[in-house]
Amino acid sequence: MGLLTNLRDSISRVTDGLFAADEPKRIGIYGPPNAGKTTLANRIARDWTGDAVGPESHIPHETRRARRKENVAIERNGRKVNIDIVDTPGVTTKVDYKEFLEHDIDKEDAVRRSREATEGVAEAMHWLREDVDGVIYVLDSTTDPFTQVNTMLIGIIESQNLPVLILANKTDLPESDVKQIANAFPQHETIPLSALEGENMDEVYTKIAEYFG
Amino acid sequence: MPHQCTSCGRTFPDGSKEMLSGCPDCGGNKFQFKPRGRTEPDDPAGRTEPDDPADRSGDQDDQAESVSTGPVSQESTPTKPNAGGTESDIPKRKQPDNRSTAQQSAERTEARSTASGRSTRNKGVSEDVPAREPESTPEATSDAQREEPTAQGTDPTVRESDSTARESDSTARESDPSTHRSTDSATDTEQVGGREHEDTAQASARTDVVTPDELDRASQPVATQDTDDPDADSGERPDIEELRDELNEQFESIRIVSPGKYELNLMELYDRQEYIISLQEDGRYVIEMPDAWGIDGE
Repeated sequence: MGLLTNLRDSISRVTDGLFAADEPKRIGIYGPPNAGKTTLANRIARDWTGDAVGPESHIPHETRRARRKENVAIERNGRKVNIDIVDTPGVTTKVDYKEFLEHDIDKEDAVRRSREATEGVAEAMHWLREDVDGVIYVLDSTTDPFTQVNTMLIGIIESQNLPVLILANKTDLPESDVKQIANAFPQHETIPLSALEGENMDEVYTKIAEYFG
Repeated sequence: MPHQCTSCGRTFPDGSKEMLSGCPDCGGNKFQFKPRGRTEPDDPAGRTEPDDPADRSGDQDDQAESVSTGPVSQESTPTKPNAGGTESDIPKRKQPDNRSTAQQSAERTEARSTASGRSTRNKGVSEDVPAREPESTPEATSDAQREEPTAQGTDPTVRESDSTARESDSTARESDPSTHRSTDSATDTEQVGGREHEDTAQASARTDVVTPDELDRASQPVATQDTDDPDADSGERPDIEELRDELNEQFESIRIVSPGKYELNLMELYDRQEYIISLQEDGRYVIEMPDAWGIDGE
């Protein structure tokens, strides 16, 4: 199936390439663990290609390898933008297997996940340096955005002069505080959304087209 | 020689970055960080200088110090196009690495100049290097700075005999601190003698080309070999925590607190793109090359 999928992707890439003026931009979806990156990636992929990117989960670090959905063609206002979506593992400065134990995962598996998550973060940082043309930075709007990870990553992204779109996710939750996110990064526009419920996705797509087109 | 490829057995001196892009011989990416005193001198003669001492002495200090990025890495890493992220950047970027080079050697020099006895000196260095044989370093450093580049490899015989001579000294050293002190100077003299082909002018000329730091690093292992004979064997084998500390000091982008617990240095991960290290409980670690990394499609 992977082969077929790849083949199909390749074909669609070729056909799209015939019509698209530009090479697809590779857009990395970054953010801390459990911010809803994979949910967003799946939402975008499903909306525009019909396929998902990867499994979503409440367990942090479910995404431990970067996953990509190629050639997602987003049309906005008569304009077509081709992007490759890269869903990255949640970036953090600490990984502890005990986090996984709370989710009914046995110790051995938890330790393995922990190691994989660590490698995933390394990988994500590597990709950030080399392989993305733009960043969608996803934050959980129910949590405090003033963290070392967020500050550092946004700083790196800015230093790279990468276009970045900050999304305040989980607006469907009552504790959501979009303003807090906006205040944390006043130099950037913050778009509220619920990737899970599909709220405000229209604006998200418009901004994607605007920022990465 | 704390690093060994688990596939082909090739060994690498401490501080080497040669294996960070995979084993040059077999392409393997699993290595063992070997506790001191356990390695076999099966290294190719070509780049043994640092290995031998590490081997023989198994000196922990040795390992900790060569963190300073090790001589070999300086020569051997250039294979990496983006090695810009490794050698030259290390000192300016990483505080600890910095320490291990210039600062450490400064410390050592300091320790040496102030301390008259072994124990004092021991204190001077011990916060960095708990289990080491202290006396070796100061001499080592000085040896290094003076002797290394020329003596190295040019005349092994001379060195052999040197070290033999020193071995015989060692008993005296052990018994009497004052003798020990004089051994220091004796060592110095020996070096000068053994380096008959380098006079002051040459040394000065050489200094223009090779920085003291480089020299320092390049020479440490040899120096250690020269001096640590009496005490090296008595050192304890480092436990996994010590190994971790040492490895982390060398590579440092990922700190393994305990199995399943990690601390990540994001800037380091971002800056240093060539590799990551996963130290396992048994001292084995894996080097991941970005080339091998891929993004899973869908």
